[in-house]
Amino acid sequence: MSQSQLDIPIAVPAISPRPKLVFQDPRFLLVPGLILTIIIIGYPAGDLLWLSLHSVSRFGRILGANAFGNYRDLFLDPLFVASIWRTLIWTVTVVGGTMAISIPVALILNEEFHGRGIARTVIMLPWSVSLTMTAVVWRWALNGRAGLLNATLMNLGVMQTPIEWLGRAHLAFCVEIVVGILVSIPFTTTILLGGLSSIPRDIYEAGAVDGGRPYRLFLHMTMPLLKPFLNIAIVLNIIYVFNSFPIIWVMTAGGPADETDIMVTYLYKLAFQFGQLGKAAAISIIMLTILLIFTIIYATLLMRGKQSSVAEEV
Amino acid sequence: MRWSKSWNGPFRPLYLAALSVLGLGAISATEANAATLNFEVAEYSSQTGPLFEKIAKDYEALHPDVKIDISVVPWDNVLQQLTTDLTANTPPDLAIIGTRWLYDFASQGVVEPLDGYFPESFKTSFIPTLMGPSIIDGKLMGLPVGSSARAMLVNMDLLNKVGAKPPQTWDQLYDVAKKVSTIPGAFGFGLQGKQIETDSYFYYILWSYGGDIFTKDGKSGLDSPEAIAAATFYKKLLDSHVTEPEPTDYSREDIFNLFKQGKLGMVFTFPMLVPQLQAEAPNLHYAVLPFPVAKQKATLAVTDSLVIFSASHQKKLAADFTKFMYQEKYRSQFDRNEGLLPVTTAVADEKYYSTEPMKGFVDGLSYAKFIPPVANWEQMADDTTQALQKIYLGQAAPTAALTQAAGQINTILSQK
Repeated sequence: MSQSQLDIPIAVPAISPRPKLVFQDPRFLLVPGLILTIIIIGYPAGDLLWLSLHSVSRFGRILGANAFGNYRDLFLDPLFVASIWRTLIWTVTVVGGTMAISIPVALILNEEFHGRGIARTVIMLPWSVSLTMTAVVWRWALNGRAGLLNATLMNLGVMQTPIEWLGRAHLAFCVEIVVGILVSIPFTTTILLGGLSSIPRDIYEAGAVDGGRPYRLFLHMTMPLLKPFLNIAIVLNIIYVFNSFPIIWVMTAGGPADETDIMVTYLYKLAFQFGQLGKAAAISIIMLTILLIFTIIYATLLMRGKQSSVAEEV
Repeated sequence: MRWSKSWNGPFRPLYLAALSVLGLGAISATEANAATLNFEVAEYSSQTGPLFEKIAKDYEALHPDVKIDISVVPWDNVLQQLTTDLTANTPPDLAIIGTRWLYDFASQGVVEPLDGYFPESFKTSFIPTLMGPSIIDGKLMGLPVGSSARAMLVNMDLLNKVGAKPPQTWDQLYDVAKKVSTIPGAFGFGLQGKQIETDSYFYYILWSYGGDIFTKDGKSGLDSPEAIAAATFYKKLLDSHVTEPEPTDYSREDIFNLFKQGKLGMVFTFPMLVPQLQAEAPNLHYAVLPFPVAKQKATLAVTDSLVIFSASHQKKLAADFTKFMYQEKYRSQFDRNEGLLPVTTAVADEKYYSTEPMKGFVDGLSYAKFIPPVANWEQMADDTTQALQKIYLGQAAPTAALTQAAGQINTILSQK
C-alpha cells in the first residue's frame, strides 16, 4: 500500500502461486491442534451444556429435559444474582489492585540495584505456594484469638482489641480481595518485567536528549510499548480471578450467611452439597459465556485500537 | 555378539518398549487372578488409615487371592468424592458415609440393601437404637460404623476459679458463663457459628426447649415459639458478651481449639474430643455432663454408615470383609482411637464405656434424637445455618430469620 505512494523502484519478490492441494496450505497445519483443543475443551463444555438443559439427579443421572428451567430458577434465586454482582466486584478490584501494584513493582525491579536478584526472588515466592495452602495459612493468621495478624498489630500498638477479620461478610470480603491481589502480583510482575526488558534502552536516552522528563517518558514511551503485555496480563488475570475458587472457599466457604459467595463457590455448593448438578452446570455455562463475551469484546477493541494506530502511522 | 549389537543399536527404544509391555502384561495377569476390593474410608483422625490398612492386611493373610485397596478421604471431601465417582459410574465397593446422606443415596438406588448379605446374629450384635436411621422403607441400607452422642464439656479449672457449679438449666448456664467471662482471656460459653454443624449446635437447645426440627404434620419446626425462644437465648448469651466474640468466625474445630487452650468454660461437643484432650491438653480438668434442661432431656446422636454400592461387582466379598471388620477387637480399637461411641453391644459392655469421661456421652444414647432422614437435608441445613448466622450477626431478629428459613424449608419439603 505505502509502496505505490513512495514511487521508489524496489524489487518485490513474486508471490508464490496459490497452492493446488488443500494440505499444502500452511493453515492446514493448525488442524491437528484445533481437533485436540475441540476434544479436550469442547467435549466437557458440550457435556455441561447438555446437563444444564436437563434435570439431573444427585449422581449425574439425567432425569428429563428441562429446557431453560435451570437457568430460569437460577435467575430467580436471590443468592445467585447476588453472587453475580459479587463476582464482578471481586474481579474488578482484584485485577485493578494487582495492576496498580504490579506496574510500579515491575518498574522498580527493572532498574539495577543492589539485591535486585533477591528482590525478584521474594516477589516470585508467593507463586510457588499452592493457592489452597496460601488460603489456609491466611485463615489461621486471621483468626481472632490466636492469629498472627492480630498479635502483630496489637504488639505494634496499632490496635487494642483483636478484630475478627472473617466474622462479618464485608470485612471478610475485603480481606479476601487483599489476599487475591497478593497472590496475583508475582504472575503479573513477571509478565510486565518481560515486557519492560524487551524495551530497548536507547529510546530513553533519545527521549532524555529531547528534554523529556521521567514521568512523560513513562507515559508516552513506556506505557505504549508495554501495552501488549498489559493487555495479556489483564485478560489472563480476569479469567483466573473470575474462576478463582480456593481463596474464598477456604477462608469463609462463601459465608457467613452466604454473603461472600461468588459464582464459582455457589456452583460448588449447588453441585456437591445440595446435589443439584443441572443448576451447577447452568452456572458453568453462564460463567463461560460471560468470559467469552468479555474476551471477544476486549480482543475487538484491541484490534480496532491497533488498526487506528496503524492508520495514523500511514 | 549380535544380541548386544541390536541392544545398543537404533532399535533399543523399541525393544525397551516391548519388554515393558510384556512386563506390565505379566504383572496385571497375576493381579487379574486376585479379586480387588475398593474401600473408601472417611478420615476421622491420623489413626484411621493405619488401622484399616492393618485390618485389610489381616484379611489378605487369610485370603491370599483377595486384595483390598483402602483409600482414605477427609470428611470434608467425602460427599464430593463419592458424587464424582458415582457420576462416573466407578464407585468403590464399600464406603463410609454420613448417615444423614444415606436417605439421598438410597433413594437414588446407588446403595445395595444389605438384608440378604448378613445373618440375623450379625444384625442383632448392633445397639438397636442405632440401627433405626439405617433402615429405609423397611430395608437395611447401611451398617452403623461409628456413633457419637453429644454432651456438654465443662472446664472445671475455670469454674472452680470463680466458685461456680456446673449448670443444669439454661439460666444457670447463663449465670456460670457470666462468672467465667470475668476471668481475663476466658469466655463463658463457646457458640459455633461457622460451617458444618452450625445448625446442630442450635438443635441441642431447640430440643431441650421442647421444639423439633419437623413438626408432627411434617412441616418445619423452625418458626415455632420454642425455636424462637431458643434462638433468642443464644442471642442473649452473645449480646451479654459471655461467648467468644463473632461466633460466625468460629467453626466447630475453632471453638474446640479454644476449649483445649483452656479459654472456654463450657462447650457442646462430641466424644471425639476426649482423645484429643488426652493428647493435647492432659492437664485440663473437665467434666462431661448432659445439656442443660428446659422442658426435656435431649441430645443429638449421629451415626456414620458403612454402605456397599449397587454398582459393585464384589458384593459378597465386600459383605464377607465387613463381617471380618466388625470383630470386637477391631471395633474396640477403632472406637477408642477415634473417641467414638460403640455401635455393637459387645464393645458397649466394656468397662471403658461405663466410666468417665465416656460414660457421660454413652448415657445420652438412651434419649438421643437423630437428624431426620429426608431428601435434600443438606439444603435445609444450609437454610437453617444462614438464618442462625444472620441472627448472630445482628442482621435479622430471631423471629424474622427463623420464619424465613421455615418458609424456605417448607418449599423444599413440598417440592417432592
